[in-house]
Amino acid sequence: MGWNLIFWVLCFFVDLALLSSNFYQLVILSDLEADYLNPYESSSRINFLIVPEIVVHGLLCALFLLTWHWFLFLITLPLTCYAAMLYMKRKHLIDVTEVFRDLSFEKKYRLVKLGFYLLLLFIIIFRVFTAAKMSFYRSESGELDIRSAFLEF
Amino acid sequence: MTPFSSSGPVVRSDAPGLRLSTPSPPQSAPPFSSSTGPVVRSETAPGFRSPAPPPSYVPPSPTTAPFSGFPAPQFPSAQPRLWAHPPPPPPPAGGQVPPPPVPLRPPMGFPSPPQNVNYAPPTTNVPQPSFPGPGFIRPQSGADSQPPAVQSPFPFVAQKGGYAPAPPVAAPLGFQSRDQMQHPSPGPGAIQGLVEDFNSLSIGSVPGSIEPGVDLKALPRPLDGDVEPKLLAETYPMNCNPRFLRLTTSGIPSSQSLASRWHLPLGAVVCPLAEAPDGEEVPVINFTSTGIIRCRRCRTYVNPYVTFTDAGRKWRCNLCSLLNDVPGEYFAHLDATGRRIDLDQRPELTQGSVEFVAPTEYMVRPPMPPLYFFLIDVSICAVRSGMIEVVAKTIRSCLDKLPGFPRTQIGFATFDSTIHFYNLKSSLTQPQMMVVSDLDDIFVPLPDDLLVNLSESRIVVETFLDSLPTMFQDNLNVESAFGPALKASLMLMSQLGGKLLIFQNMLPSLGVGRLKLRGDDLRVYGTDKEHALRLPEDPFYKQMAADFTKFQIGVNIYAFSDKYTDIASLGTLAKYTGGQVNYYPGFQSAIHGEKLRHELARDLTRETAWEAVMRIRCGKGVRFTSYHGNFMLRSTDLLALPAVDCDKAFAMQLSLEEALMTTQTVYFQVALLYTASCGERRIRVHTAAAPVVADLGEMFRQADTGAIVTLLSRLAIEKTLSSKLEDARNSLQLRIVKAFKDYRNLYSVQHRLGGRIIYPESLRFLLLYGLALSKSIPLCGGYADAALDERCTAGFTMMTLPVKKLLKLLYPNLIRLDEYLLKTSSPDDLSSIEKRLPLAAASLDSRGLYLYDDGFRFVVWFGRALSPDIAMNLLGPDCAAELSKVTLSERDNETSRKLMKIIKKFRESDPSYYPLCQLVRQGEQPREGYLLLKNLVEDPMGGTSGYVEWILQIHRQVQQNP
Ligand SMILES: [Zn+2]
Repeated sequence: MGWNLIFWVLCFFVDLALLSSNFYQLVILSDLEADYLNPYESSSRINFLIVPEIVVHGLLCALFLLTWHWFLFLITLPLTCYAAMLYMKRKHLIDVTEVFRDLSFEKKYRLVKLGFYLLLLFIIIFRVFTAAKMSFYRSESGELDIRSAFLEF
Repeated sequence: MTPFSSSGPVVRSDAPGLRLSTPSPPQSAPPFSSSTGPVVRSETAPGFRSPAPPPSYVPPSPTTAPFSGFPAPQFPSAQPRLWAHPPPPPPPAGGQVPPPPVPLRPPMGFPSPPQNVNYAPPTTNVPQPSFPGPGFIRPQSGADSQPPAVQSPFPFVAQKGGYAPAPPVAAPLGFQSRDQMQHPSPGPGAIQGLVEDFNSLSIGSVPGSIEPGVDLKALPRPLDGDVEPKLLAETYPMNCNPRFLRLTTSGIPSSQSLASRWHLPLGAVVCPLAEAPDGEEVPVINFTSTGIIRCRRCRTYVNPYVTFTDAGRKWRCNLCSLLNDVPGEYFAHLDATGRRIDLDQRPELTQGSVEFVAPTEYMVRPPMPPLYFFLIDVSICAVRSGMIEVVAKTIRSCLDKLPGFPRTQIGFATFDSTIHFYNLKSSLTQPQMMVVSDLDDIFVPLPDDLLVNLSESRIVVETFLDSLPTMFQDNLNVESAFGPALKASLMLMSQLGGKLLIFQNMLPSLGVGRLKLRGDDLRVYGTDKEHALRLPEDPFYKQMAADFTKFQIGVNIYAFSDKYTDIASLGTLAKYTGGQVNYYPGFQSAIHGEKLRHELARDLTRETAWEAVMRIRCGKGVRFTSYHGNFMLRSTDLLALPAVDCDKAFAMQLSLEEALMTTQTVYFQVALLYTASCGERRIRVHTAAAPVVADLGEMFRQADTGAIVTLLSRLAIEKTLSSKLEDARNSLQLRIVKAFKDYRNLYSVQHRLGGRIIYPESLRFLLLYGLALSKSIPLCGGYADAALDERCTAGFTMMTLPVKKLLKLLYPNLIRLDEYLLKTSSPDDLSSIEKRLPLAAASLDSRGLYLYDDGFRFVVWFGRALSPDIAMNLLGPDCAAELSKVTLSERDNETSRKLMKIIKKFRESDPSYYPLCQLVRQGEQPREGYLLLKNLVEDPMGGTSGYVEWILQIHRQVQQNP
């Protein structure tokens, strides 16, 4: 099975993890808004996930760069930069004392991320299938199709 | 409504329009417009169940507002509103009203006799001969009488104040309270007549002067301090007193589009525990048998505005209209009018403020005892300043007065580079000190004996406090392990909660939460990083604050350093725990000791509500969206207040949920659930109703400047935490401009406004307060204008001040004392010193002695040409010395005793802070500048605009098209 397929499957799982982490955080924020969770609990749960999420996202971005997937690298780059900026400003964590003031922003931010990871997931799934087909095709013909190279963007 | 304002009666005549939306039945128009005032009163009277009207109804003293409640236009020219002379007509003999110069009685007869009780007693109408300065007889305008003279062009003079000694007739006053006054023809139509419902101020060339401008004398000034709006209380007499809840406008907009044209904040200022004068205490109600009656759906507490139906078996919630069952034990029959027959035994159904004793459902744990834990810095600077001694002595003297005897608990810890705990177990004869020096892994030895019951361990506690000052007197330690000590306090107190009082004398330098010097860098100012200086540097402080709130610990910070202590970081602890910051820069016990003693004693002995939460509910269609003050939000609308007291107020903004309001009245209910010091769990409930109005003019008419300024100041201070000072000031100004612009648009079509700035009577002081706010310490200038620590302290303080106190801080009292001191009259006659002066250097006469009082400090200003006798009497042999080194103390002569008596009286009138007296002589720079001149907000100063300039600036911006 080529490395390509393994790479895309790996990306698939990484993206899935990011997606579910964001979804979980959104659920917590909704619970907080509905008063099912207190601010201490919810912010500590969310803050526990934030740094790992930034690291994983950064790694994914770097992986795209290293494998010369320019398009994917470029679309993951803005979020990486934004997260890095938040981290540098030490504003990446939820501020438990002002959590309600920031609530709508935090929710929107996570909704946007959720949408982004969903989009990424579709692209990756498409790539997984292309890669699977490709490795099959390649093993048959033994030479690279120029079109598939083009499809790599 | 300020007394003496000429538009008083007109506001009255506007009232019928307002009443359309109020429950009282509409009545036929009064016979003539000038008598609407009393008619309104007699109309609302039946619903007036509360026996005691707000204090302002009754003139408490002859000098204050004789007409405040009742403009009493029936005596039109019988009220020669004399602000002074020259020449004053002789006070009529026997306190009788002078005979009217012109036929004053309107063609029709007086209203019926019962309304006569509403007249202000004639004696209070007698002009006060003691008002110095120029003035004139203010003519009654319009309908009431023929103007006796030419004065009609200037019917208005700033309240009570001849401002500069110019003969009134000559002054081309530009200020016209109303242009075309009310239609002179009496009759029902007069109310609807062509009236300008606004005040205006002519901008443009003043006749007789070349300079375009505004007449300084005519500018409105809040010389009567804060005046609570009365209109709402009159319409809804069962509302809670405004000292507990004030709305920025009591006309709630009926639609979102209307709300969006109201550019001022829409919301409320709540002071749930405000001190009530004797006789007006909030009644405590014990619903032992029935449980507390609340709405099933929205959890509203039973209040005067609920209605009983179905022969008394059901009650309808006024907030959500749900029909609830009346519990059997609470049942009472209804009389013919549908009122409960037991109404007079049910304060919760007749009064806007009540306190319910909460049963066990309202407790997550047994009510906690009052608990005080003291964390005291004992490093070398603290020892040298003498702070430790003052603190120890004050605490010792307050031991008997701590609330909650015999359950009160107490504990102490001190720290320098190590943390010291004190075992105060009652079986010991003297306290044992335990030192913890491992700052990375804090542990608390013997946690059970460090917090002890005060009455059991009283002797040990006293021994400890007696020996504390000497214990560290030779301490040379220069470090401060503040963060670790804080953590240790949290560990100790987390069992019970309580109040943590921190006495900090230097920048935390060891362990977690150590801070570094910042704010010295001039270059940061004016950049995007500037606001970070006003935020906590280390997230540790926010986290600690959150933890403190979680464990019901309220933190009060006392800071004493003369160097940078990072109040921005330390104050965060107080901000999120409902506490306060007291800062004594460069504390020296000889100078500031008295202030610290009083303020600490106040903190320890004032009635405190423990482990409190507060929520404000409101009727359908509106929702509170943001909260501003010192607290932490526990959920979207629940304020967690580990320890709260009478000196704390909270502000909140509301917004409309739907495009259109469906109700005619909006109800608000503040509920504070807390543990009283006696160990009872209680719920204090304040209920208020406000009408829904459909036009912007009505919203403006019912606006409350005090509440608006409070909210504006909190919003502006919050803005300084996320942007530059300049941006905060600009957005404040922009808001005011927008509001005035929309107000102008209301009238620009029908009226020729020309070069006038127009504003509603209710907001006549808004411009001045806006100016004062942008010159206040948290917002003013830049790097050099206020030390960072002082700026932050002022910010934390202003975020929690109640309305009255804030307004006094923004526009302090300036009064002239020398005449009073020289007068031989009895020292209790304070009438002459109750006249406040405009805050401008022109008010200061070099022959005078003045007192400046902003509620936090006094400045006594000695004029250069002040009679040497007075100075000699007040200062004794020190009178020639430099006044910065002189303190005022009572000397053995009448003048000095009189002055000290005044100062004492002022201090007692507002005990929440203890103002220290600072003396300054005219021309003594730079002290005079920063003590007094800088605070004269009406003067231009160091690049800031003065009052006139500010008005012109606002006017220009208002006239600019968007
Ligand atoms: Zn209800």
